[in-house]
Amino acid sequence: MLLIECPHCGPRNSSEFSYSGPIKPRPSIEGLAPEDRAEWRRYLYEEDNHAGFATERWFHVSGCRKFLNIERHSVTNEITSVLTVGEVS
Amino acid sequence: MRQGEPTLAKQAGRTGRKFSALSLIRKGMRGGDWPRVWRHHDLAPTYDVVIVGGGLHGLATAHYLAQNHGITNVAVIEKSYIGSGGSGRNTAIIRSNYLTPEGVAFYNRSVHLFERLSQDLNFNVMFEQRGHMTLAHSDASLRTMRWRAEVNKLQGIDSEVITPEEIQKLVPLMDVSGQARYPILGALWHPPGGIARHDAVVWTYARSADAQGVHLHMNTEVTGIDVKGDKVVGVRTSRGDVSAPIVINCTAGWSSIISDMVGVKMPIHTRPLQAAVTEPVKSFLDPVIVSGSLHVYVSQTARGELVFGAATDPFASYSTRGSLEFIESLAGHVLQLMPSLAKLRLLRQWAGLCDMTPDFSPIIGPTPVDGFYVDVGWGTYGFKAGPVAGEQTAEAVATGRIPKLIEAFQLDRFEKGTLTGEKGAAAVGH
Amino acid sequence: MTEMRLPPQPGEIIDRNAPLSFTWNGKPLTGYEGDTIVSAMAASGVKVFSRSLKYHRKRGILTANYLDPNTILQVNDEPNVRAGHRRLEAGMNVSSQNTWPSLEFDIKSANQAVGRFLAPGFYYKTFISPRPLWPAYQRVLRRFSHGGRIDDRVSDDHYDKRYAHPDVVVAGAGPAGMAAAIAAAEAGANVILVEEEYAIGGHLRYGSADDLAALAELSARVQANTNIELLTNSVVGARYDGNWIMINQRDPGHVRERLIKARAKTLVVAAGTIERPYVFEGNDLPGVMVSGAVRRLVNLYAVKPGERAVVFTANTEGESAAADLAGAGVEVAEIVDARAGGDLVRAKGRTKLSTVEVGGRSIDADLLVTSVGWTTPTSLLNMAGSRPVYSEGAARFLPGDLPDEVLVTGGMVGDGTTEQLVAHGSAIGANAAARAMKIRARWQRLTPSALPPETADTAEGSVPDLKPEAHMELYRASTHGFVDYSEDIKSKDLISAANEGYDLMELNKRYTTVTMGPMQGKLEVGNAVAIHAEATGRSIADTGTTTWRPPYAPTSLGALSGAEMNPVRYSPMHRWHVAKGATALVAGMWIRPEHYGDPAGEVRNVRNNVGIIDVSPLGKLDLRGEGVPKLLNFVYTNKWSRLPVGSVRYGVMCAEDGVVMDDGVVGHLGEDRYLMTTTSGGAGGVWNWIDDWLQTAHPEWDVTMTAVTDGFASINIAGPKSRELLSRLTEVDLDKETFGYMKVREGAVAGIEDCVIWRIGFTGELSYEVHVKAGYALHLWEALMEAGQDLGVAPFGVEAQRIMRLEKGHFIVGQDTDGLTKGFSLGIDWAIKLDKDDFAGKPELEWQLADGARSRIVALQPVDPTVVPKEASQITEGTEIVGRITSSRMSPTLNKSICLGVVADHLKDPGTIVDVRLTDGEIIKATVMEHHAHFDPQGERLRG
Repeated sequence: MLLIECPHCGPRNSSEFSYSGPIKPRPSIEGLAPEDRAEWRRYLYEEDNHAGFATERWFHVSGCRKFLNIERHSVTNEITSVLTVGEVS
Repeated sequence: MRQGEPTLAKQAGRTGRKFSALSLIRKGMRGGDWPRVWRHHDLAPTYDVVIVGGGLHGLATAHYLAQNHGITNVAVIEKSYIGSGGSGRNTAIIRSNYLTPEGVAFYNRSVHLFERLSQDLNFNVMFEQRGHMTLAHSDASLRTMRWRAEVNKLQGIDSEVITPEEIQKLVPLMDVSGQARYPILGALWHPPGGIARHDAVVWTYARSADAQGVHLHMNTEVTGIDVKGDKVVGVRTSRGDVSAPIVINCTAGWSSIISDMVGVKMPIHTRPLQAAVTEPVKSFLDPVIVSGSLHVYVSQTARGELVFGAATDPFASYSTRGSLEFIESLAGHVLQLMPSLAKLRLLRQWAGLCDMTPDFSPIIGPTPVDGFYVDVGWGTYGFKAGPVAGEQTAEAVATGRIPKLIEAFQLDRFEKGTLTGEKGAAAVGH
Repeated sequence: MTEMRLPPQPGEIIDRNAPLSFTWNGKPLTGYEGDTIVSAMAASGVKVFSRSLKYHRKRGILTANYLDPNTILQVNDEPNVRAGHRRLEAGMNVSSQNTWPSLEFDIKSANQAVGRFLAPGFYYKTFISPRPLWPAYQRVLRRFSHGGRIDDRVSDDHYDKRYAHPDVVVAGAGPAGMAAAIAAAEAGANVILVEEEYAIGGHLRYGSADDLAALAELSARVQANTNIELLTNSVVGARYDGNWIMINQRDPGHVRERLIKARAKTLVVAAGTIERPYVFEGNDLPGVMVSGAVRRLVNLYAVKPGERAVVFTANTEGESAAADLAGAGVEVAEIVDARAGGDLVRAKGRTKLSTVEVGGRSIDADLLVTSVGWTTPTSLLNMAGSRPVYSEGAARFLPGDLPDEVLVTGGMVGDGTTEQLVAHGSAIGANAAARAMKIRARWQRLTPSALPPETADTAEGSVPDLKPEAHMELYRASTHGFVDYSEDIKSKDLISAANEGYDLMELNKRYTTVTMGPMQGKLEVGNAVAIHAEATGRSIADTGTTTWRPPYAPTSLGALSGAEMNPVRYSPMHRWHVAKGATALVAGMWIRPEHYGDPAGEVRNVRNNVGIIDVSPLGKLDLRGEGVPKLLNFVYTNKWSRLPVGSVRYGVMCAEDGVVMDDGVVGHLGEDRYLMTTTSGGAGGVWNWIDDWLQTAHPEWDVTMTAVTDGFASINIAGPKSRELLSRLTEVDLDKETFGYMKVREGAVAGIEDCVIWRIGFTGELSYEVHVKAGYALHLWEALMEAGQDLGVAPFGVEAQRIMRLEKGHFIVGQDTDGLTKGFSLGIDWAIKLDKDDFAGKPELEWQLADGARSRIVALQPVDPTVVPKEASQITEGTEIVGRITSSRMSPTLNKSICLGVVADHLKDPGTIVDVRLTDGEIIKATVMEHHAHFDPQGERLRG
């Protein structure tokens, strides 16, 4: 059970949070032509799956219901930063 | 050479490597050691094919390249010991009662290969077809079970929806009283399903590949893959470089990282899948039991231990350390199904890594880099697919054509938006 | 059997005034309070406790504690009880496992004669052909399975769980662990001290008079310190990421076991060492024991382990054991000292030890004690990422690098006098407290609180050296013996497996199954690694140890599960439904009324009169703010900008891949005020999904969202007489012109203010859905039943609703759609507006339209109207699947079977006849219909 230091609630068990993976920006769909399908589908399906630190989106679903940007190591699970989405460190 | 012909058994007979009760007795009387099951080799400077990953898939691919296509100048490169990854960490379940016609055809071929594997390759993999039972706790899941049964039957697969009374006969300890929080309404019953000894499946392919001239390199890590233009030319390893026109990524857990070496991005994220085993008790459970709603599957090994698995972890990770919440929820769910097991003790938990694709189906075939093939993205189905994946990967590599059985599993389906429909039944399918 | 109980011993823990009766394989025996099952049996003269796994050899006491592989027994309905540890209780029925017909005469002991054919992995090499016989072989192999038996009765034992938030957890209460706990507690830390035995003290308990004195003093300090919570007969089972510590508290009173989940700021591991058996021929004969077994039996339980002993030792523990034996009146025939070149060759005996062969001489003895070294149980350290390091000089693995929040002390680190162990433990305990205080302060700062954070001294002190003593590398004699007693694996087996090619330790382990049995390597891993190293010519350090996996000690499923806690959601009307005999339907977390006895009758009543249904599980989101239309435009596929106040609209949600994820209606209640409903199953997911868009993509939209699923209960009043019924309870103007179809009003109903009433038609009838504050919902429900008596009002359940929606052709997301159903496959193209700027899934829907939908939802009418194909029946063309029935019922309204289904694009045109394959294989014909609705396709009734 990881411990996530929620900026709003304090240290909480990771079971209070839901996970939605490394942050992927949504491509602008303005003028997205049929030939741009590849780009859109990379957004849908491709995953940054490297071993190491990544910034991920988590949701404190059983707490403050804030979406958080969390920097976590995918091998050790060490968490080095927890920020509310939109907040800069 | 015809597929499935028991060639190795014949070869082995000539070289004194054949296993049988008689050879066992002879060896017992005379003493002395058995011949080695596989040999050590120096890394050759050039191979026709380099297979990255010495698990079940890599070794099966090597075996079928040699047996079916005569390609034997092959290296299997394994960073640890063979079968150290998913092949040795799965719960060894075999079945073909999938949801999509493509999935059913593919895994049905695998079941057939498993059924003959012990005889074909002269190594008992202990495939016990004690039946596979997927419980339904809601009318929605009962409908999905019937969907699977109907798709299965159309391909001649023994698969049927059964009632709680029939479940009780097959598993006397099951609580089918209807009093449980999530009552059992029925099940999908698949008699040919069962379990095998996962390590033995790895070893039999390794032994056979070795006998046909394939080099197994353990404790050898691939550190890079060389590409010239858009063609693969070789592999760098912790023991030196080798050149090869064909490289096959047969890893699980690390498949994105290997593919990244040639710049091929994968629609894969890696999640731990945990499992656990209890102390042994006298045999009381024949079939494999799965409950998708309760996220658990259970089987009893020939040794008497119960082997448990569940859904993948709630977040992506390369950790195989395991978690307490996994065994807690597992135990709770097992006791809902079979309440009299409360005093049985959990002995060990572990985790393996699963490469999850968006549609819960594998990626098997060529990539945009010429000569670089993948056999990856097996999610939680890698073990049961091992033989057929090896056979089909070998055929794709040897012939340069994509065999029909794996047409639906091509990498470009994600760009084309033609995903398979397996996800529907996959929440906890095993 | 001879009585082996000694006269009172100085440190004995048995109460001779409290005799306890129990049975062993049906025979009555007696022990004392404080005895283990094994010590009581040994005191009664029992020598043989079990038969081995494969060869069915007789086995006796080896270690006389939790790790004794030979004394695992069935106790009452409990299998695999560690009888070397478990306290004796009156009335226990103890029996041997894996024996048939009896422990003394066991048929499978014939396996010993063929033992050389049963080498590890023999099953891989045989039973291969002929293939048809394999199932019969399987049954034989499965009989070999070890272990006790599961009782098929469900016991009424209780288990529970507890969360703990200690500063420091100390695993192990030997001298170093006790000292660490005391030092940490004195530094102000809250400490949980966990001891696997029933009493604290570790090896001091069965030591000298000085040891007992030291124990008394440390024990008193532990007991007196209120900062220490002491848990005995408990075990730290695992350490997970985040220093999440699993503690299994056995028999804590009131419940059978309790699982404690502790978020420890620091963990001190003081698990001591485990004595290794020695590998030599005959090392499993009853009468061969490790020195610790002798010391425990004599000093704690006053049991004489034998009459005439040989002691083989390479250290002072063996000497102490010899002294204990002498003191207990056992004749010590010889002390064979390995340090002086003494050589133990083999032990002999038919069914128990009779002679010991030492350097060419045979000595008669019924007891052989070995003391050849220790294994460090690094389990918890491994779980913290530490890799043990082998020390040749100490002949054992030692802890490797550790993370800051895990510390180690005691025998795992080194050897020393009690004073040295205590000094080391104290220093480690103080440092563990200092590190914990630093973390405590950080967490206090991070936690919203009015209290000022504490300040504490977080400076760490120096730790005195604790070095392992030099020890011979003594693993195997010149002969071969058992390495893994529970798996029946001999040293010879490991060597031949290595020679056969399984020459990496993990391969050897998997092939022979060494360390894979109930001991999980704690007893046997040192010997296994050493012998594998011997076989491969590599050093022990290069060979490395096998991975220790959690839990440290086997943990019951009952403890892991705890009390069953499955949340259930009930609507406010639930008890009414129960009282009226409703059949319960488990719908996810909700329990709903499926029907009240006659679903077809319920349908007819709605079609002819009026019915009411409890639809409280509908997801409900209260949306406010100027930005709501933008949000709705984004999450639904249709347009929302011009929805007037007082209107409701239906919408479909697609995910970014274009796949249909939910549907529902939204009412525009007032200026910037909306109520959204979702499917019951989708309620949570949609709520989270919208929050995601609002927080991460469009924080600029002014929207405040509140989930009100539980705050409002929902009742649907359906049927031609629904207007009449509702009008009797409300002043709200229900006139069909002003309050038409797809309109919403707010007002009082049955005296309850602020009800939301909207007209929609899932059932296809004139109907009003009333969302009412949950606390008053039952009142409203009862008022409707009362007011509508003369109108024939009756409740209807989920089944009747399903029938009616199918008659009306309304699909259900998740039943008529699946994980690949994109928007244009729904067959309601009017609900997707691609001329909107942007919305979730828009590109995929555009491309789906351009490419043409591959499948469509259509209504199907079996040509033979008496046949209802089961849901999930496949639609086929030859052997190819081209669709399936997703919903089907016999319609009580139309008196014929009706279906919804999915068909391939080329079959979607009305009038197409398709083949439907019934579950028994029969093929029937069905016609694709023009409208989804089988009943009232023009919607005259719901608009009425």
